[in-house]
Amino acid sequence: MKHTVVRKTVRKFAESELSPIAHEIDRDAQFPLEVIEKMQPLNFFGLQVSKKYGGAGLDATSYAITIEEISRVCAGVGLCVTVHNSVGAFPIERFGTARQKERFLPLLASGKSIGAFCLTEANAGSDAGGVETTAVKDGDEYVINGTKIFVTNGGVCGTALIFAVTDPENPRRAASVFIVEKGTPGFSVGEIEDLCGMRSNPVSSLFFEDCRVPAENLLGREGDGLKIGLTALDTGRIGIAAQALGIAQAAFEASVKYSRERQQFRKPLASFQTIQNYLADMATEIDAARLLLYRACALKDSAKPFSAEAAMAKLYCSTAATRITNQAVQIHGGYGYSKEYDVERYFRDAKVTEIYEGTSEVQRMVISRAVLSKLT
Amino acid sequence: MIKLIVCIKQVPMVSELPWDAHTRTLKRELAEGMMNPACSHALEAALQVKEKHGGYITVMTMGPPMAEEVLREAIALGADRGILLTDPRMAGADTFVTSYILARAIEKMCPDFDLVFCGCNTSDSETAQVGPQLSEELNIPGAAYVEKLDLTGRTLRIQRLSDNFLETIEFELPGLITLTTQHYQPRYVTLSGLQQAFEQGEVVPVCAADLGLDPEFKSTKNSPTRILDVFSAVAQNKNLVMTGAPQKVVEQLFKKFDDKIGGAIGKDLKEKT
Repeated sequence: MKHTVVRKTVRKFAESELSPIAHEIDRDAQFPLEVIEKMQPLNFFGLQVSKKYGGAGLDATSYAITIEEISRVCAGVGLCVTVHNSVGAFPIERFGTARQKERFLPLLASGKSIGAFCLTEANAGSDAGGVETTAVKDGDEYVINGTKIFVTNGGVCGTALIFAVTDPENPRRAASVFIVEKGTPGFSVGEIEDLCGMRSNPVSSLFFEDCRVPAENLLGREGDGLKIGLTALDTGRIGIAAQALGIAQAAFEASVKYSRERQQFRKPLASFQTIQNYLADMATEIDAARLLLYRACALKDSAKPFSAEAAMAKLYCSTAATRITNQAVQIHGGYGYSKEYDVERYFRDAKVTEIYEGTSEVQRMVISRAVLSKLT
Repeated sequence: MIKLIVCIKQVPMVSELPWDAHTRTLKRELAEGMMNPACSHALEAALQVKEKHGGYITVMTMGPPMAEEVLREAIALGADRGILLTDPRMAGADTFVTSYILARAIEKMCPDFDLVFCGCNTSDSETAQVGPQLSEELNIPGAAYVEKLDLTGRTLRIQRLSDNFLETIEFELPGLITLTTQHYQPRYVTLSGLQQAFEQGEVVPVCAADLGLDPEFKSTKNSPTRILDVFSAVAQNKNLVMTGAPQKVVEQLFKKFDDKIGGAIGKDLKEKT
C-alpha cells in the first residue's frame, strides 16, 4: 500500500507542477528553479538519506517509483533528482566519515545543495581508469587540477564528487574521490551543453585549476575511487532504469490516448490490428522492464547483492524506452515528429538512458561477468 | 487540547465510472482512489487550526480496506490518527446510513470531540448530504459550504456561501462544518511524512460489531435511498470546424459570433463593419 501511495503522491505533484512547464523548459533548456524550490521541503532531494540527516529514509522501491513518476512527466528533472540522490548524496552516506555526513548530508537532503558525480573526462568514461584529473597532497590540503565533462546538474551543483588520481606515478593510477563545494577557489563551471534530450538539466563541464580542498574532504581512502564509483553506480542504475521506465510509460500512455482519438479510414487507429499489436508489445515490454527494476529494488531492500540485477534492469529499461518512444512517434505519425507533441520529447529523452551511468555495453560487461563468475 | 475530527472519503480518480445495474452502485473498484478534493480542503482547514491553536486530529473514513490509503495520506500531512470504518455490512450505504454510521463511530471513538470537518460534497456522488445529516445525528450545530473559519476560545466564526451571499455565523463548540474548495488550498504530502505515516502512524480498523450496531444491520438493507439509474451527460453541442486560410477563418468566426465576441469585449462589432 505504501508504494501505491508514494506513486500517487509523486504523480500528483509532477502533474500539477511539472506538467504545465515540461514542454517549455525542454524547448528553452531551462532548469526550473521555482519547481525545484517546491520540491525541496517535500524531501525529493533526500529520498534515501537517513532521517537523522533530514532525509525521507525511503526504501529502494519507493525511490524507483518516485524517479519513475517524475520522469513520466519531465525526465530532465527526474535526471536531476536521481543523480543527486543516487550518485551525489548516497556515496557520502555510504562511505563518508561521521563529520562528512553531518556537514554535507543535511544540505544535500534539503536540496539546498544539489549533488553531482564527476567521473567522465575527455579520455575517461566507460574506462574509469582513464581519469587524468589529479589531486596532489599539499600539507593538509589536496590540489585538484583537471576537467570533467558531461556533468549532470553541473550548472547548478553545490556539492560535487570529483574522481581524481592521487598518485599519478603509480601505474595502477587508482582514483580517489573528493567532495568539492561550489565556491571553492579554482572550481568553475563551463557552458551548459546543447544536448539532444534532457534539455532542462544543466549538463556542463567543470574545471579545476589549482583547486585546494581540505584533506578531510577525501571520501573513503586514497585509491577507493573505483570501489566508491561502482557502488554508487549500482544504485544509480536503479535510478536511470526508473527514469527510462517513466519515459516509456509516458510514451505508451500518449500512444493509447492518441490511437483512440485519431481517426483514419473513418475508424480510430486503435481499431487497426497493427496498432493493437504495437500497443500490446509496448505494454508487455513496460511490464517486463518494471518487474526487472522492482526485482533489483527488492534485492537492495533486503540487503542482498543486486549489482547484476540493477545492470539488467538498466539495460532493459533503457533499451525498451528507446524502442517504445520510437514506436510512439510512429503511432503518432507526422504529429509525433512535431515538437508540439510530447512524444517527440520522450523520443529524444529516452536515448541517453542507454548512454549515461554506464552504457548498454558496460551493463552487458557487468551482467556477463556475473553470469560467468557463477558458472566457473 | 481541542479535539478535531475530519471525515474524509476515498473517491475514484476518474470522472466517469461504469454502473453496475445489478447492485445499483458505481463500479468504484475499477479506478484508483484518491482523497475527495473537498475533503482535502477540510483536512487542510483542520491542520491550520491545529497549527494555530494546538489540538489533536482524528481522520475518519468509511470504505473498503483500500480506503486506508487516504488515512495514511492524512497522517502524513499531520493528522494524529486514523479510523477506518470497514465492514461488508457497511458497504453500499446511502448518505443517510453513512451519516448514521459516522455518528455512531464518533460517539464511540471520539466522544469528547470539539469540531467535525467534512468536505462540502464528494466528486463521485455530489449529494452534499453527509455533513449536514451527520450534524443532525450528533445533535450539534452545523454549517455547510464554509469558506473561512476563525476560532476564538470555544467560539467558531465562519463565513459560508449561501446562494450568492457570504454569510458570517458564530456558534459555540461542539459543532460541524463542511468546507468548500475555495480556500484552504491543500498542501503537498512530504515523502518523509509518508514514510513515517506508514512506519508509525496509527490506523484503527473498526467494524459494525465494534460500534455495537444491530446484528441485523446492513447498509444495503437499511438505506432508504434507491438509485434507479445513472447515466453520463451527453454534450448537446457539436464542435464547429472552420477551414481555410487563417484570415478567412477569422472573418467567418467574427461573422458567426460577432454578438458574443462583441459582448465579451464590450464593443458593438456590427456597428464597426
